[in-house]
Amino acid sequence: MNRRDYLIRKLLLSLVTVLIVVGINFLLFRVLPGDPVRAVIGRNVRISFETQAALRAQFGLDKPVFPDQFLDTLGQWGRGNLGVSWSQRRPVSEILLSKLGNTIVLIGLGQILSIVFGVILGLLAGWKRKTVIDIGALTFSLIAWAIPTFWLGIILLAAGSTWLGLPTGGIVSPDNAGKPLYEVLPDVAHHLILPTLTLTILYLGEYMLIMRSSILEVLSEDYILTAKAKGLSYWQVLWRHALKNAMLPIVTLIALNLGFTVSGAIYVETVFSYDGLGKLFQTALIKQDYPLLQGAFLLLAVSVIIANMLADILYTYLDPRVKTI
Amino acid sequence: MFKRNWLLSLLLVLTVVLTACGGPTTQAPSAETPSAGQEGEAPPPAETAKAVVHFGWLGKPDTLNPAYAFLTESYVIFDLVYTPVTTESPTGEYVGGVAKSWTPSEDGLTWTITLKEGIKWHTGEDFKASDMVWAINAIMENPDGWAALSSYVAGFKEVKALDDKTIEITLEQPIGNMEYRLSFLYAVYPKDFEQFKTPEDLQNFNNFDIVGTGPFKINSFDKDKGILVLDANKDYFDGSPKIDQVIFQTFDNADAMVQALKVGDIDMTYEVPQSAFETIKGFEDVNAVSIPGRYFTEMVINSVPADHDPAPTGNPALADPQVRLALTTAINKKDLVEIVMQGLAITGDTIVPPTLGGGFWHSPNIKDVEFSIDQANKILDEAGYMLGSDGVRTKDDLRLEFRLQFPSDNPIYPRMADLMTGWFKEAGIKTTPEAVDPDSLTVAMTPAGDYDLVLWGWGPDPDPDFILSVMTTDQFVDGGWSDSGYSNPEYDNLYLQQQITVDKTERQKIIWQMQEMVYNDRPYVVLFYENLLQSYRSDRFKGFIESPLGIESVISMLQVEPIK
Repeated sequence: MNRRDYLIRKLLLSLVTVLIVVGINFLLFRVLPGDPVRAVIGRNVRISFETQAALRAQFGLDKPVFPDQFLDTLGQWGRGNLGVSWSQRRPVSEILLSKLGNTIVLIGLGQILSIVFGVILGLLAGWKRKTVIDIGALTFSLIAWAIPTFWLGIILLAAGSTWLGLPTGGIVSPDNAGKPLYEVLPDVAHHLILPTLTLTILYLGEYMLIMRSSILEVLSEDYILTAKAKGLSYWQVLWRHALKNAMLPIVTLIALNLGFTVSGAIYVETVFSYDGLGKLFQTALIKQDYPLLQGAFLLLAVSVIIANMLADILYTYLDPRVKTI
Repeated sequence: MFKRNWLLSLLLVLTVVLTACGGPTTQAPSAETPSAGQEGEAPPPAETAKAVVHFGWLGKPDTLNPAYAFLTESYVIFDLVYTPVTTESPTGEYVGGVAKSWTPSEDGLTWTITLKEGIKWHTGEDFKASDMVWAINAIMENPDGWAALSSYVAGFKEVKALDDKTIEITLEQPIGNMEYRLSFLYAVYPKDFEQFKTPEDLQNFNNFDIVGTGPFKINSFDKDKGILVLDANKDYFDGSPKIDQVIFQTFDNADAMVQALKVGDIDMTYEVPQSAFETIKGFEDVNAVSIPGRYFTEMVINSVPADHDPAPTGNPALADPQVRLALTTAINKKDLVEIVMQGLAITGDTIVPPTLGGGFWHSPNIKDVEFSIDQANKILDEAGYMLGSDGVRTKDDLRLEFRLQFPSDNPIYPRMADLMTGWFKEAGIKTTPEAVDPDSLTVAMTPAGDYDLVLWGWGPDPDPDFILSVMTTDQFVDGGWSDSGYSNPEYDNLYLQQQITVDKTERQKIIWQMQEMVYNDRPYVVLFYENLLQSYRSDRFKGFIESPLGIESVISMLQVEPIK
């Protein structure tokens, strides 16, 4: 099978996956106990039974789940409309877009920094195995990987705001609200420091550990011995022969993590009151806001699938074996 | 050769690592410097020229459209931007909002409302009686659209303006809590709302450019960023605010908000987590306020009548009044307050907390049973429940073994359940604590009646009507508020009667009687009333009014002034 056929097959499989996800998402939220109307209006609010019924009808909840509600939803999506959020009363696509950028900036920065540092640390540790560098890097990575997100975030927030005067939350200082983005860019960057640092530390350990074990495995291969025997320097051995092969597991991991980037980092976003998708998912679930939930999970599913496809494509370049399967 | 190369490579890698490591550290100051510069330049003029109160909270308004606003945060903003007809005072009486006076006719069927002088919209136009009439009529004509407010006009027959300053409301039957109802009828700006014809269009309107007559006017609301800015309305008819601006900032995390208070990013917050209260008390220049509040926590005892459809699955032993009494006697409310609530609550007895109406509605006639395990044992002995070899009492087919469930979203319940299970055990009652997702618990309780004992809480309205309605038979249906399944025709009658009793003392008598019924029948065992925990920085602003209305009330925000 050549590369083109391989990609077409992957693409078709991805489409099927999206369709299955859409179906499951639709059913999943409707299986949850509770009444969306009650979830939207909350406890302690008096609303007459008639008005509750009117809202239920407005949301289409008075119709049978299948086929009516399902077909309505599919029809709406077919017209490229994700619907209107019940709790926020705004178009779902508008809500998702407003958060998507923020999340991509935050998680993207965190991912890039952790990949760079994680890979370098992993390489260094694997290469200098059983030295102080290795043990130090290994200990640090294990700790970083094991730390609870929430705890690390709070500690960094307390320390950063007390000693460095960094903001305690949000995307921009309240006093700068409403100003155009280019004017408040430094302020936005200021607000990004602590959440990015938290994310970097959290992801770094995983990348480092995978990179280290991967490079160790590669370094024990015969062809490395051959390369060394040819008289190549360690740096050349590492760069030309070891790194490319050792990167394979990392590519998988990056693809997986990037896919989930869109789901946001619920904990980090919550600790730093950062307006992103993770937090949105959580509130949509609490409010049982079906249109918002369905839209959000569609976005999540599609991005995970795209990320995996990209990884598959990348594999065909990194690993010649793949396209011949 | 080998060695040199090794060193060279190490050097290279080190350089890469160091420059990379340098990334964030050089980035941090570079990002910080411009913004620090900005803080150094922008705020001084802002701070010297403007008195800005930074207000931190854990939520944000769902919308600024009162037709479809369900979150407390929205109502905090409505109270500051709009003016209702009447408004609650810190002592629990009602005072005028836009109204100067409001008087019922002899038969209670007609209310005449006279408006205050000199009221202007934020746009500068005069506010007229016809505007207020339009606002009330809008709700009456489109109750499904005005979902959040329609219950306040239920039973209104006609509303009309007699002249520019006088309004007349005709009712279908007298309304006992008219003053309270009027406190939710806001002077909304007709031009903002008249274009919406269907309920859905009206509800989709976010009204972020809210126009009112209140002491503050909207500057901006960025819902995504969670930043809402209000400017003082210097032309407010009841005296201008002493501050220039209030900025509301949303925190998704209580610990972060407490930290913001500590470092001075915010000046006040109206919701301090109980666990942080002691810590905040220790902060420099910060006042921590603990005021008796409206929220209560109760133990629900399954009271669904056995012949109810669907049939309840609660333990039938709970129908025995002596079992209920024994359960109540075996609960040490003082310990719950001291241990679980860290003293930030007062022990409770009735479903109408003593803070409602400044204490006017809370029945003084209830003598709460004293905690005594011995007494609980004695009650059960006398009722014929004998201790089995497994330490659980039984009588014929009845076995005193109950589920003790609670919603999983509040950390106080598991601690309460543990303590209570210990006390019950000493009385020969076995309870099994279980955390349940709140939605599942609601479904299990109403109207299925599939539970024994449940720990939960309520935050009643300022008027007792709502919390009293929770105990009526009509509410034990899908979408209703009753979870105990309590059904008492006499109580239901009294409920209807208090609704149409305009004389306050008469209504008080009925409401006391209703509380006593609930207390004695025990569908709820009210455990404690939670305090309202708030906090503000004392080094920048003064004048906050600490009352059950909270430091964020209109009356308080009108008094707040900068120090120097």
